[in-house]
Amino acid sequence: MRSDPSDNGGLFVGRRPGTAPVRFRSLPQRGSDVRQRIDGSIASFMLAGITLLCLLCWGPIPLACLWLGSQANYLTGSVSLGILVSFAGLFALLFGALALMKRIDGAWILVRRAAGHDQRAGVLGRIFAATAVVCALGFLLWFLVIHGPGTGLVTRGNGS
Amino acid sequence: MGLLDYYRQFEGMSEEEVNEGLREEAAERRRKALTRVETLDLSLTTWPELPHPRIVSAITFVARRGLHRYPELRGSDLRGVLAERHGVDPERLILGNGAADLLSAATRALIEPGQQLLTRWPSYPLYPIMARRAHGLAVRVPGPIDGCVDALLEAVAREPDVRAIALASPNDPTGELLGAAELQRLLEQLPEGVAVLLDESLVDFADAQPSSSSIELLEQHQRLLVFRSFSKAWGLAGLRIGYAIGGPSSGELLAELAPDLGVSEISQAGAYAALHSCSDLLERRVETIWKERPRVIDGLRRLGFDVTDSQANFVWAAHPALQGGELAARLARAGVLVAAGDALGEPQHARIAIHSKAATDRLLSAVQKAL
Repeated sequence: MRSDPSDNGGLFVGRRPGTAPVRFRSLPQRGSDVRQRIDGSIASFMLAGITLLCLLCWGPIPLACLWLGSQANYLTGSVSLGILVSFAGLFALLFGALALMKRIDGAWILVRRAAGHDQRAGVLGRIFAATAVVCALGFLLWFLVIHGPGTGLVTRGNGS
Repeated sequence: MGLLDYYRQFEGMSEEEVNEGLREEAAERRRKALTRVETLDLSLTTWPELPHPRIVSAITFVARRGLHRYPELRGSDLRGVLAERHGVDPERLILGNGAADLLSAATRALIEPGQQLLTRWPSYPLYPIMARRAHGLAVRVPGPIDGCVDALLEAVAREPDVRAIALASPNDPTGELLGAAELQRLLEQLPEGVAVLLDESLVDFADAQPSSSSIELLEQHQRLLVFRSFSKAWGLAGLRIGYAIGGPSSGELLAELAPDLGVSEISQAGAYAALHSCSDLLERRVETIWKERPRVIDGLRRLGFDVTDSQANFVWAAHPALQGGELAARLARAGVLVAAGDALGEPQHARIAIHSKAATDRLLSAVQKAL
C-alpha cells in the first residue's frame, strides 16, 4: 500500500515546469507595510503605462509614421522617400516602444516583489496580446460600422 | 540603501547562475562523500549485512496475512525443516525466542534455588545472569580451552551442588571451539544429574570439525542439550529465534523450555525462508569467514598480538603493551570499532569481528597505526 505522498511511481521526477521559487542572491530586506502599499500602487501605475504603450503600438504610432511619411512626400515630392520615412519611423518607434516596455516590465516585476507578491514572470506578453485583440476589434467596428469602407460595402451589397 | 538598490535586491538569480550554484553544490557533496570514511563496526558478533530480500518478503507476506491471530504454537513447518536438516526427530527439537531465551529457560528448569551453574570464563555474559535469575549461583571456571574439560570436572567435584554446565562452542568472546572428543569426555565423566547446555550459536563459522559433531553425541548422552540460533551466521538477530535439540528421551525437558505462547509467526516465516531459499547465502558468508579468519589471526600475530585460535566470526586478541580499552579507543579514532575486553571478562583483550577482505585490510592497517 502506498502511504508516502511523495511516492508517485516515478511519474514526476523533479519540479513541475515554471513552479521553481525565485532564488535571491541574498535575502531581501522588505520595507514597511506603508512602503509595500506604495510599491503596490507604483506597480499598478507601471502596468497602466505598459498598457498605454501597447495601445500606442496598435494605432497612434503607425498613424504618426504615416503622417511623417506624407509630410516627407509633400515637402520633397518623392513618394519613395515618403514610404521610406514612414517605415523607418515605424520600425524605430515600435522597437523603441517595445524595448522601453520590456524594461518597464522588468522593473514592474521588482516593484511587485517589493510590494510583497511572489511575482515570478512579467506581464508584457499578455498585455500585448490583449491590446492587440482590443485594437483589432475596435478597428473592425470602425471599419465595418462607423466610418470605414465597410459601410459602403454593406450598402452596395444591399442595393444589388 | 539607495532607492534603486532597494529594488535591485529583489532581482532573482538567472537560470545560468542557479544552475552554476547547483553544480558547485553537487561537486562539493561529491568531494565530501569521497573524503568521508564510514565507521567500520567490528565490535558486534552479529552479521553486518541486511537480511536477504526473500526473507523480508516472506516476513511481509505473513505480516499482511494476519497478525491478529496467535502463531502456530509448535511451529511444525519450521521444526520439520530444521529436524530434517539435522537428521533428528522433530519431537526432539523446539523453537524459542532466540537461543539465549531457551538457555535461560533451561537454567530455570534445571536449577533449584541455591544450586550451581558452571561456566568457563571469559564467556557469554548471559550465563551468570541466567543462574541469578533462576535463584542459583554461577561458578566461573577460568582458563584456556586446552584443559578446560579437566578444570570443569574438577570444579564439579569441588563444588557441592552443580546441576548444569553452560558452554559456548565456539566461545564468545574467545572464539575457541570445544572439540567433539573433549565434549564426549566431559559428558562421560560428569556425575549423574549434571546437564550440559551447549550454546552453538556460532558453530556455523567453525571449520575445525563438522557442525553436526555435537548433535551426533545427543544419541548417547541424554544430559546434553544443544542450542542453535538464527542471530549470527543467518543474520537474523532482530527476529529473536533459535532452537534447542535434545536426546531421544528429552521430550519432557524440552517441553518445559518451549515458550508458553510459541514463537512469533513473523520470526518463523523469516527463519523458514532463510532455510528454504537462502542456504547459499549462509555458505558464502561462512566461506568469507573461513578465508578472512586466518588473515586476521596471522596479521595480528605478526603485529605482536596474542590471538586465540578462533573458530568464530571474531578473534580475541591481546597486546602485551596495550590494554584492550586503549586499543579500542585508538582504533575508534581511526574509524574502526572493536569491543574492549573490560566488559567481556579480560581487560587486556579486545574482541574483533571479521567481515570481509576490505574490512580485514582496513583493520590491519588501523591496528598497525594504532600501535
